[in-house]
Amino acid sequence: MRAIAAAAAASLALIVVYLALGGASYAPARVADPCAVRDWRNPQGLQHTVEQIVLSGLDGAACKLHVSREDMVLAFASRDALSRFARQHHVSTQQVDELVRAGLLRSIDDAENAGALNSTIADLLRGFVHRFPIEQLISLLQQLPGV
Amino acid sequence: MRTPAVLLAVAVGVVLADSSVVTIALPDILARYHVEISTLAWVLTAFNLALALSALPAAFLARRRPVPVFGVGILVFSAASLLCGFAPSFGVLVAGRALQGVAGAAVVCAALDLLSQAARTEARAARVWAVAGIVGAALGPAVGGILTQLLGWESIFFVQAPVVLLALVALRGAHAVVVPEPAGRPHVGANAALLLISGGLVAALFLLVILLINGWRLDPLEAGLAVTVMPLAAIAAARFGRTITPLWVRASSGVLLIAGGLAALGWLPHAGAAWTFPPQLAIGAGLGFALSALTERALAGRSAQAVHGGWTIAARHAGVVLGLLVLTPIFTHDLHKSEREVLASGTAAVLDSRIPPLDKIAVARHIAAAVDDAKQQARIPDVSEVVGKHEGSGYADLVSKLQDQLDRAVTQAFSHAFLVAALLCLAALVPILLSRREVSV
Repeated sequence: MRAIAAAAAASLALIVVYLALGGASYAPARVADPCAVRDWRNPQGLQHTVEQIVLSGLDGAACKLHVSREDMVLAFASRDALSRFARQHHVSTQQVDELVRAGLLRSIDDAENAGALNSTIADLLRGFVHRFPIEQLISLLQQLPGV
Repeated sequence: MRTPAVLLAVAVGVVLADSSVVTIALPDILARYHVEISTLAWVLTAFNLALALSALPAAFLARRRPVPVFGVGILVFSAASLLCGFAPSFGVLVAGRALQGVAGAAVVCAALDLLSQAARTEARAARVWAVAGIVGAALGPAVGGILTQLLGWESIFFVQAPVVLLALVALRGAHAVVVPEPAGRPHVGANAALLLISGGLVAALFLLVILLINGWRLDPLEAGLAVTVMPLAAIAAARFGRTITPLWVRASSGVLLIAGGLAALGWLPHAGAAWTFPPQLAIGAGLGFALSALTERALAGRSAQAVHGGWTIAARHAGVVLGLLVLTPIFTHDLHKSEREVLASGTAAVLDSRIPPLDKIAVARHIAAAVDDAKQQARIPDVSEVVGKHEGSGYADLVSKLQDQLDRAVTQAFSHAFLVAALLCLAALVPILLSRREVSV
């Protein structure tokens, strides 16, 4: 019987040590809630301002669709990914486009009101957002490394 | 131990190692034959199922004519091994594996009868036979890994053919011992416990190897060396565990150690082979205690050793098939879930990183494409290949964060399967305790 007690103690000790070292929580990080307010990181230059506008816009659309901001980014990874995403969430690709567009326009307004953008740049960005499909906007952004 | 006994033990070890020896080679086999992952599992299932189904008929045959059954079994097993090594298609490989299982059943069951002559006493024969089986099964992944890395996966089969043929030498002077009385009923408790333990051990002998190679990207050689902790502990435990009596106490202690080790693998606090060593030590020791005690218990006082040995082989390999059937869907489901989680957490790491803002979209797209590519090839994406070519501290930082997320996701994907395997092992306590007073027939 002592052998059984020793084996049980050794097994329990091993499990307790592994759990104490974080074994139960060793998992990928959880993504943030897109509906929660995020801190406006003091942007350094136009690139960072545009980045925050895009992320904030994606947050808005993600919150409406009950998905994460990261899901929205992955949805725009390719045309196939966007179609797959739209199918999964029972919306059309145009509706996804419109939600992101609305989110972007709202975040441009926020940036302008916060003084991070002057009105000329804000109008220019609004023009881009109105004029181009979101996929094209993303491609356009990638081709403008020197913004 | 005399030479014939050693040769017979080696043959038993090689045959039973075949249950897990190709685990490390599975990715290479997948690359060679381009089959679905669910189909790939047949390389393991075919052998174990055939062995489980043929063990009893082979045992009854071996009881009457152990010498020809062993001889024919060895020849067919060698031929089947060569067929696997030269298999031109996946179907032929699976057929070869099934044939190995059938012939292996004949070899293992007949070897027990022949060992009784070579080792002089039935009790000693049973002990040698049980230890050979434990060492073979536990060493399988390590030997398979080393051979796959050094000589290619086909070498696993080419090497075992001549090794088992050597055992034919053991037939010199061997003869059939007529056992007139009926074989008697099998020891239900010991065999039921063997079935459940073997089901749980699938996680340690198969899933752990897949985690090391496919999940944490170790070379087959590194993985093979990493999993030697388990057989070493098993050999030591089988040798020194004999002092623990009665048998049901040794078996129960073994079950608790295996279950504890498997649970610890389910709650790994970090990725890395070294974190698997303490659980492997527990599993190996438990394996040495439990399998030796239960096999001895199943054979103790039973005159037809081959038949009762056949029952233990049937139970063990039916357990392996049960483990594959129970654990594979859990593992594949969790792998898909983890894939979605790591894509999201990886994208979050890119968006929050300090790389130039306008590069983030391209990097996130490349990662999504790399994950898709890796999925097609049933492997884990190489983060440094996707992001590492960019220069700058922001990128180096991002690569390490992405790698961490990937390690977490992969490790988590195996967690539930290890925990269920631990429960499967713990369930073996029920038949052990219920049958602890069962008398030998």
